[in-house]
Amino acid sequence: MTNATLIAREEWRLWLRSKVAIIAFLIVSLIIAATSILNAGRMADERAERIHQQEVAEETFLSQPDRHPHRMVHYGHYVFRAPPPLALFDPGVDAVTGQSIFLEGHRQNTAMFADVRASANLGSFEGITPAFVYQLLVPLLLIALGHGVFVREREARMLAPLLAQGISGQSLYFGKFLALAGLTAALLLPLLILVAVTSALGESLLMGLSVTLGYVVYLLVWCALIVLVSALSTSRGLALGLLVFVWLIWALIVPRLAVASASAAVSVPGKLETDFQMYADIRELGDGHNAADPAFAKLRANLLAQYDVDTIEELPVNFRGVVAQTSEADLTKLMNEYADRRMGVEQSQSLHVNQYGWLSPVIAISAASRHLSGTDLMTHHRFLREAETVRFDFVQGLNKSHVEKLSYVDDINRNQGEEANRRARISADNWNVLDAFEFAPSAANERATRASLPALMLSVWLLGLLTLGTALSARLKP
Amino acid sequence: MSDLIRELGFLARDRAAQVWLLIAFAAASFAVIFGLQEVAAQRDTIDRLKVADAIEREVAVEEYSDWGSAGYYTFHLTYDAPSEFTFAALGQRDTAPWKHRIRMLALEGQIYETDAPNPDFALIGRFDYAFVVAILAPLFLILLLHDLRAGEKANGRFELLEATNSGIWRTRATLRLAAVALVLLAPLWMAGLVSGAAALQIGVASAAVLFHLVFWWAVIAWINARGWTAPVNLTSLFGIWLALAIVAPAGIKMAVDTAITVPEGGDIVLTQREAVNDAWDLPVSATMEPFLERHPDWADYATIEGTFEWKWYYAFQQVGDQTVEPLSEAYRDGRKQRDALAAALSWLSPPAKVERVFQSIAGTDTTASEDYENRVRAFHAELREYYYPLLFPDAPYTDEMVSRRPSYAP
Repeated sequence: MTNATLIAREEWRLWLRSKVAIIAFLIVSLIIAATSILNAGRMADERAERIHQQEVAEETFLSQPDRHPHRMVHYGHYVFRAPPPLALFDPGVDAVTGQSIFLEGHRQNTAMFADVRASANLGSFEGITPAFVYQLLVPLLLIALGHGVFVREREARMLAPLLAQGISGQSLYFGKFLALAGLTAALLLPLLILVAVTSALGESLLMGLSVTLGYVVYLLVWCALIVLVSALSTSRGLALGLLVFVWLIWALIVPRLAVASASAAVSVPGKLETDFQMYADIRELGDGHNAADPAFAKLRANLLAQYDVDTIEELPVNFRGVVAQTSEADLTKLMNEYADRRMGVEQSQSLHVNQYGWLSPVIAISAASRHLSGTDLMTHHRFLREAETVRFDFVQGLNKSHVEKLSYVDDINRNQGEEANRRARISADNWNVLDAFEFAPSAANERATRASLPALMLSVWLLGLLTLGTALSARLKP
Repeated sequence: MSDLIRELGFLARDRAAQVWLLIAFAAASFAVIFGLQEVAAQRDTIDRLKVADAIEREVAVEEYSDWGSAGYYTFHLTYDAPSEFTFAALGQRDTAPWKHRIRMLALEGQIYETDAPNPDFALIGRFDYAFVVAILAPLFLILLLHDLRAGEKANGRFELLEATNSGIWRTRATLRLAAVALVLLAPLWMAGLVSGAAALQIGVASAAVLFHLVFWWAVIAWINARGWTAPVNLTSLFGIWLALAIVAPAGIKMAVDTAITVPEGGDIVLTQREAVNDAWDLPVSATMEPFLERHPDWADYATIEGTFEWKWYYAFQQVGDQTVEPLSEAYRDGRKQRDALAAALSWLSPPAKVERVFQSIAGTDTTASEDYENRVRAFHAELREYYYPLLFPDAPYTDEMVSRRPSYAP
């Protein structure tokens, strides 16, 4: 057995004999267990509920009676964002973004009903998730238990005899680091259980293990720092004060300063504001409800020429449907341009925040954790994009029926009494244009790519601190 | 008095204490600066929206020549401007809407739309003054006061000091408490002056800060009296902070949300949509009867000829809202009840209470966002009252009447 493992074992023996250490460890384990169970239960319910709501929404749409196709365009549809399995561990932006969107013709609506709006308001830290516990609370436990590992020996005047016995400063450093790393490993057990659960729910095991690995590296950063500070301090009080100071800066201050910095550096005009510009653009496109809108004159001329007829009544297709189809396509292109621009700016804001991971590993791990769990901003954006695809497809599918299955004459006479109104309907079979929607997590490699920068940051932090620790402990003074 | 001067001298030489006080001052100052910037940005946004809204309304007036189309196509801007104290607690403004455009269609289909900023911001949280006072201030105080006795004990001076001047701890602790209060409150007062907040608002907020600090001062004194070493004191105090600032709010939130159920928001909009869309296929009487119950004045004009008339269209929009009223009210009541219970239980967590107090002074709490929602509802009702007398008797579309259309006034 090497010196380092011997030293680590000695440290463990001390912790096991200390009532305070055991109580602190038990409390944190209890918090981890409680939040894991409660959060996992809640997210699993949410997942089941939203998948159910999605099915109901699809059934309702498909069971609509015979109608004018454009009525179905306005009847619209709902899509729900089911949380991915790893949301059991890290729900990410799930609670602060809306989970359902109403899809209808001619409009891109915002996601509605974010959880935070309806639930009780208790200030800054109101929802504890397992991820939050690992990011903020476990480091505090490591500090509480580990700040004395080195400085205790110095206070007891044991460093000189130890060094005199030929134990190098470096093996002391690694022994103490190993002791704390063992503690970390014990604390990560609940996370592994959660990973097993998510893998049973269909999550790739590799992703679950990557999340775990991320937290291993993150917590080892803390271990390396704690041993380093403990080795350099002259008293326990000083070591604890310094470590708590670092925790305060990393965990509470830098992340929020990063938000302030991102919101100052990258401004995002709200959707409401860009909508004004967009509606001005839309007016130039013409109103798709009004086939007589001068904006569609060219379309009419082209169609008449194409089918070699003189009036739109003679066309084999329904001109009103063609107008609806064309204007929806033009409009969607425009709306997507605005939406893409907005999402692009939001992502650069989030990247700006993530850059602060070079200043605080807490930012790096929380970003990596959300990216890998599939609960990040990009996933929400992908939900918005997929919802838009569903919207466009069913609206255009209905417009296609409008063009092909409803005659123009019946269509323009639809308001001439009951009978005419009935003639302007098409069969409910045509509602089948709606595709089933199931929001799945991003592919594993995509998530891994997004997490690569924060993962790099964490690795640099760990290697940097370990190198520093090794170098300084080689010249350790009693 | 001489005690006080001597202790001031000590504080002037205590590097660690000065660093903590400086950090507290910097945190409070940054927080109010960010807050003032954010509020200014929100005011600018509202100003720009007002201009754009006015221009668009002009265009809409030109474009349409009947009341039905005008009502359908004209959006109306509503907004909730930040108060003079919002800089100190941005509260719900990151997740609840404070700007909204509505039109004459069924309100329940529109009112839940939220133009929220980047969700990462709401997730991480804002560095506002309320956060500094509620979450950081107790930590600053703990770090400054946890080793008052233990430190002297470690230096071997404790017995001597205790014997010669047992009041010294109180003087020393009070002085440090006053110093923390001062570095935290000075930026608030400055920012209050800059933004023109009312003296009463600043006064109540300052009192909340002081109460919070005194509470933590008492907790620290209680732990210090145990006679433990400084590291044990600090660890215990951090444990208490963790319990009160993080675990308790999360527990209360979970308890409140479990105890009071609120209808699924999705159900409201779904029900509303069904009601509005079914109306197209139902006999006209199915719409007009419930409509006339609320608006008997229009009974003489309520016959619908042909298969489409705007007044029928707007009547079933209104009936859609009426159908979903019980659900919508239950949703609002549920939120209100949750907030009331959270208010009562937040006494268990002084940090959560402080944030709630700040948000309530700043007008960024749940009540304020409900008030805004109610103002939007009232404005929508006003729009209906304006349009119905024009739609039902089929009044001519005149510029004079258009100019009398209500616009939102907060």
